[in-house]
Amino acid sequence: MAKKLKNYINGQWVEATTETYIPVYNPATCEVIAQCPDSTHEDVDKAVQAAQAAFDEWRRTPALNRAQYMHRFKTIIEDRFEEISQQVVEENGKTLDEARGEVRRGIESIDFATGVPFLMRNDGVEDISSGIDETTVRQPAGVFAAITPFNFPAMVPLWFLPTAITCGNTFILKPSPQTPVSMDILFQLLEDLDLPEGVVNLVHGGKDASMAVMEHPGVTGVSFVGSTPVAKLVYETCTRHGKRVQAQGGAKNYIAVMPDANMEASVKNILGAAYGCAGQRCLAAAVAVGVGDAYDKLRDELVRQASNLKVGYGLDETTQMGTIVSYEAKQRIESMIQKGIEEGAKAELDGRDLTIGGYEQGSFVGPTILSGVTPEMSVAREEIFGPVLSLMKADSFEEAVEIINNSHFGNAASIFTTNGKFAREFKYQVNAGNIGVNIGVAAPSASFPFGGQKDSFFGDLHGQGSDSIEFYTERKIVIERWV
Amino acid sequence: MASLNTFGAILTYAINLEADLCDYYESAGEEDLARNADKRRATLERIRREYVVEITLEPIEGLDEADYALDLEDKTEAGQRAVAQTAARFYSDVAPKINVRQAQRALEKCGQQYVELA
Repeated sequence: MAKKLKNYINGQWVEATTETYIPVYNPATCEVIAQCPDSTHEDVDKAVQAAQAAFDEWRRTPALNRAQYMHRFKTIIEDRFEEISQQVVEENGKTLDEARGEVRRGIESIDFATGVPFLMRNDGVEDISSGIDETTVRQPAGVFAAITPFNFPAMVPLWFLPTAITCGNTFILKPSPQTPVSMDILFQLLEDLDLPEGVVNLVHGGKDASMAVMEHPGVTGVSFVGSTPVAKLVYETCTRHGKRVQAQGGAKNYIAVMPDANMEASVKNILGAAYGCAGQRCLAAAVAVGVGDAYDKLRDELVRQASNLKVGYGLDETTQMGTIVSYEAKQRIESMIQKGIEEGAKAELDGRDLTIGGYEQGSFVGPTILSGVTPEMSVAREEIFGPVLSLMKADSFEEAVEIINNSHFGNAASIFTTNGKFAREFKYQVNAGNIGVNIGVAAPSASFPFGGQKDSFFGDLHGQGSDSIEFYTERKIVIERWV
Repeated sequence: MASLNTFGAILTYAINLEADLCDYYESAGEEDLARNADKRRATLERIRREYVVEITLEPIEGLDEADYALDLEDKTEAGQRAVAQTAARFYSDVAPKINVRQAQRALEKCGQQYVELA
């Protein structure tokens, strides 16, 4: 019997006020591993009330003590690192290495949050006017919430929760109903920390719960990661309701490969960028642009190396690419491959109709390479969110940059080159929030903001790094005169 | 057949190898060697946890665990030397395939300890 998940509100595990439960599948075995409640406005309201009630006492808890909770949180996650990683594989389908890497990245965000007492410091000037001192202070801003996606079920919530609460805010998390179990475990760990009731709250669910979070007057700000259409909706809804919001959307990340690049080593890294997490990541390489002579070599080396990738169940350590998150997603990806072929692309490697022995019901799509792709084709413009790499040809560096900058997305872009001038010009000219030089997944560490421009981000302050301190605090200016 | 084809596959194989060798040395009455194997196992578990760099995970080619089969029944001095030689060869083969320097160093260090026993 699959576990029926509960919400965690005001320090208690409580059943949602709904009869509707969403089955959570292991995408490799098709087993139902949990039942996720489709929580209601009422459930969200209870969580917001608990978070509001907890806020005053929590903000008065010394910053160093708030940080101590994060030190302990890190320790207990390290102790259960393998268990959490395996859970990520079971509900998401990625490989064990990818899941371990995800949990490690989550821990980095907790590490960052332990520095909040330092990061919240501000400045001041004595005698800004005669006998008058002026200082700035940062204060927590209230109740924050995050609505997080299926593709990094352990990591993305940790981009937000640790920093938000260590800044003195209280928090509500609404994870993806497709992958809610990792957060069930992490909230058990948070429960063990003995935080005051209401500081952290978990509300499972889908669209209703998300709308309730975005519309609730008691919520100060919302962080979101997901597709562009939904990110835009989240941004518009939250701003309409007077909230601060950071909404990270979809992507179509380009990689330029110059003729001077070390082709074998570059392709190895590009494979990880294109097929890591089965391409289901907002930093996945979606289009590789071979410049001049690089195109043919790139195509041949990509096909050679990608053909050797072992696709399978992520819990098998030798699996190099896991599953797609659901059968529906697999169908959507396969139909986009078909559309690309109908528009004139050539399938150098076709990952459709892949069956893995022992996992015949699994949602697998193998590594796919489409060559001869041109900018107007759907596979060059639309986010596929699967293991599909499109190849385009550019005659020059300038043309490659132009192709990349014509994309309406701007999450990430990378260049592979041994030429410093190309690298410098790429960093300088390309309009994307995260730039990689000889690295295909340009994912910022926790101490840097996660970039994102154009249709890949809606808001002003990004997640992670110094932006997150700004996002989770109010700045107050104090002007003092003692007579 | 490349069964040691990922960062995790290599580290997990090494962790299991050290666990097996800990038992092996214990049953051979070599308490110090057993303790050292257990220490290496713990180090490798930490390395697998702390040095998995999600953005540079790359496929690994050319390594097969069948090439490092150990005869753990032979506990004679010669048998122990053969086991140490195989373990040393394993570590020297896998270390250069790992693209994270700190993990590479840990594997090299393990290998060096077996070289001294071989």
